[in-house]
Amino acid sequence: MSASATEEFRPAIAAPEALAAMDLFALGRQAAAARDARWNRRGFFVRARAAQDQAILRFPFQDGESDGERLERLAAIAAAMPPPWGIMPAPVGEPFGLDTLRCFALCRLALPGVAHLLADVTTLGPRLAQMAFGFGADELFAPIVAERALRVGANANNPALTRKEAATLLRGAGLIPCERLADGTLQEVPA
Amino acid sequence: MTFPGIRDKVRAGEPLSLEDGVALYEHANLLEVGTLANEVRERLHGDRTFFNRNMHINATNVCEASCMFCSFARLQPGDPGAYTMSHEEAWERLRARVAAGDAITEIHIVNGLHPGLPFDYYTELLAGLKRIQPSIHLKAFTAVEIFYFAKKFGLSTADVLARLRAAGLDSLPGGGAEIFAARVRKKICDDKCTGDEWLDVHRTAHRSGLRSNCTMLYGTIETVEERVDHMLQLRALQDETGGFQTFIPLAFHPDNNALMKLPGPTGTEDLRTYAVARLLLHNIPHIKAYWIMLGVKTAQTALWFGADDLDGTVQEERIYHMAGAETPQVMSPAEIVRIIRNAGRTPVERDTLYNVVAEGAALATDKPFRRDVRRSLEVVS
Repeated sequence: MSASATEEFRPAIAAPEALAAMDLFALGRQAAAARDARWNRRGFFVRARAAQDQAILRFPFQDGESDGERLERLAAIAAAMPPPWGIMPAPVGEPFGLDTLRCFALCRLALPGVAHLLADVTTLGPRLAQMAFGFGADELFAPIVAERALRVGANANNPALTRKEAATLLRGAGLIPCERLADGTLQEVPA
Repeated sequence: MTFPGIRDKVRAGEPLSLEDGVALYEHANLLEVGTLANEVRERLHGDRTFFNRNMHINATNVCEASCMFCSFARLQPGDPGAYTMSHEEAWERLRARVAAGDAITEIHIVNGLHPGLPFDYYTELLAGLKRIQPSIHLKAFTAVEIFYFAKKFGLSTADVLARLRAAGLDSLPGGGAEIFAARVRKKICDDKCTGDEWLDVHRTAHRSGLRSNCTMLYGTIETVEERVDHMLQLRALQDETGGFQTFIPLAFHPDNNALMKLPGPTGTEDLRTYAVARLLLHNIPHIKAYWIMLGVKTAQTALWFGADDLDGTVQEERIYHMAGAETPQVMSPAEIVRIIRNAGRTPVERDTLYNVVAEGAALATDKPFRRDVRRSLEVVS
């Protein structure tokens, strides 16, 4: 499967007032459906992300913001031409779980022209990053390493994942894990 | 049964079967399972979400049992890291909280199975805490400890409980249940009481008028069927006695123990387990998201997947932190209130028996929390 084959997919932009009115589960279902319509239940990870690769924009958010404020900022991104390759919600300070998941869903639904929604294991932790895949995320953003790190002591927050751990997280979220290779092709990781 | 069929059973108030529970674990759409669990949670409690002000005392980590998932226990006194508190050390922890003006209502006490301590150590521990603060609720000793005391001191379970109650015991915590399946217990905790013995201690406690909690350790080597079977055995005892207040799913932490090659449960597995528990255990009033073990973010999210309780402020939790838990060891009531409100829920401070201590304006108030948000977009790569 070639990445470029599906990156032209552009569903209609949902009305902001409709998004802000949805409850968490409705938002999550819509966002996951939008992700699946584009990527056919695939979730991605990359072993080595080259500096010249596609631009990923960080989208800062924090507790206390309204959906309206976020949608306003997302609308500005949606209007950008060409659209960014990917967007990565980035909590300012310690993120709340539900607020983070809602933010992911809004990003997916308000940015139909942005191909990828990335979940950063460093800022979210592996548990919340995995949950984000139920709310529209399609790519894990984490260092992929050869050997599993023992996460104790000073190493407790090490975000590095092995290829197998990344695939397990994606599969556990109900997706088909795919590694994005250096030449842009995608390789499914067998169970 | 299909998911719509299960949804109909839940809405009709029919108990779910083993097959239904397994089907919920295997249903591809987690959000559908979560939505249904949330429906039950809101039918029982609306938006109300409970917490209490408590502290933990783990008086000794010396333990005869050598459970493979445990990072807390040391086999013998004198082993590296082994400790046993004197009564004064344990009591001083409560005195310090009282002196600091903390209005705690509960002490949660869980220990290792120390081979050398006399029964008086435990009764005097409780009695001393009650002398310092007579109104404090002592939720102490898992069923595994109670069973051990009975065996070691030649008493019946009922006698052990009666003597501990006379010393100040008010209720039992739910720990030590692990997974009831004999296959799993043989491999991960062969030298502690069986599942039937655990249930029997709680049965005896409930018959004597004590309330208790119940737990399930998930994420080691158990199958989905064994998890569901575990919950159904708890449900059956609850039908018999009505004595359980809260079910607490406990996620296995894989660091610093003999099972550290296992990956441990993931975030979606946590949420699914909470949701399935809420749906299977229709007769247990509360499902607790134990933030110490889940992490604050997952625990908050679980409040929309069936959970209605966040546990308490806690202080000096050792068991999960020795297994690699990265959470803080204490949260202030204001922090807990803020986390619950941020989830769109209504915080209620409770005591151990779920009597309301404070709600609405009487709760600890939130501190203003608003930092500047960077509005600019930053290119990552």
